[in-house]
Amino acid sequence: MSVAVMVFPGTNSEDETLRAVKAAGLDGRLVHWSADPASVRGFDAYILPGGFAYEDRIRAGAVAAHDRLMDVVIEGAQSGKLVLGICNGAQVLLETGLVPGTGPIRRPTAAFAPNGNGGRFRSVRVYARPVGARARSPFLAALGDAPIPMWASHGDGRLVASHAELQTIESGGHIAFVYSDEAGITSDAVIPNGSALGVAGLVNARGNVLAIMPHPERDGWVFQHRDGPEKLAAMNDGDAMLAPSGGSVIFSAFAQAMNAGVR
Amino acid sequence: MIARFAVSLTIPDNTAYTTLVALRHLGIDLERIERAELYEFDGDFDAAKLEATIRTIETIFNPNKHRMELRSLAEPLPGEVWIDERDEPVATTTRVTVAGRMLEGVRSLRRATAWRLYSGGKTADSATVGRAVETLLCNPAFQRALYDPRTKTVASHA
Repeated sequence: MSVAVMVFPGTNSEDETLRAVKAAGLDGRLVHWSADPASVRGFDAYILPGGFAYEDRIRAGAVAAHDRLMDVVIEGAQSGKLVLGICNGAQVLLETGLVPGTGPIRRPTAAFAPNGNGGRFRSVRVYARPVGARARSPFLAALGDAPIPMWASHGDGRLVASHAELQTIESGGHIAFVYSDEAGITSDAVIPNGSALGVAGLVNARGNVLAIMPHPERDGWVFQHRDGPEKLAAMNDGDAMLAPSGGSVIFSAFAQAMNAGVR
Repeated sequence: MIARFAVSLTIPDNTAYTTLVALRHLGIDLERIERAELYEFDGDFDAAKLEATIRTIETIFNPNKHRMELRSLAEPLPGEVWIDERDEPVATTTRVTVAGRMLEGVRSLRRATAWRLYSGGKTADSATVGRAVETLLCNPAFQRALYDPRTKTVASHA
């Protein structure tokens, strides 16, 4: 099963993402913005990694959402292919309108806007708890209830939308993840950016397009931890250091959904 | 009183160029785009002193690459649209600080980006500005666009 990891000018998390995709047993390949769109159509799924596509000019994700390769991604999403956007990739997906998918294509109804702290960049380990949309999402069906550790690392991660749209997002089951603590409790203290409803990730109605702000690929292995207890315990033990960590379950779920033939 | 300053680049503006190319790809026929950051200060202050202070805050104004002008009009120029965040936090205390500097007498500060579009040797008409706003410049989920649909075009001086 082939997965295109899309690279736009300014994308910066493609290597970690590709490594996580390959570790999940998938045939991941980097696809740069200069690729022939016809050659990109053959992939079975698409991942938009984090970074600053087109330097976030105009606003985060705005220019990349109109890239010609996004025509292929949109077409693939509409035919049922899996699409995952992480951080900047999530911002791009909201700008395309694929997520939450409540309006026309490229007429966004929501945004991951500048953080509520005045737009300052934050990098912090968070937990994202899977919520309601699991039943209909091939991505999320394989996940349990347990909060998943990831790294929030962004200046624009605050979900914003009109009051009516937020109601649609909530009642329509578009919320895929909310920020929580390790025990699964959501409170203002654990939301790193002031995101509405504590949202860390959104999914479309069909369940095949997922946009998550925190980075699971940055918590894919124990060695990526910053001096946490798991890493300290793994010191001098290569196997333990290379053991999968919490965020890897996102890619396992992605692979499971692909192998189940989700289209 | 209200003082409004527009800060723009004296060096090539890559963001404006990217925007120009993107809008052309979207079928909007434009010659060029100018971009400026707008800072609107409200309060009881000496405008000349405020301007002098702002000129020393490099996160707003870097003399090596910026020009700054006082905008007397409270509305966009012909061919121009102002984009701001609907719920951008506005400082409303009696002490407004920017980059750690207190701005004496300033009670609130709002920011916006001004895009000025040119087409056919003059400023773009409001229909063209409107299409640019709808297709790319503004995400209505969190941004507002202010331009005058009745505005007349004026000749380009570039």
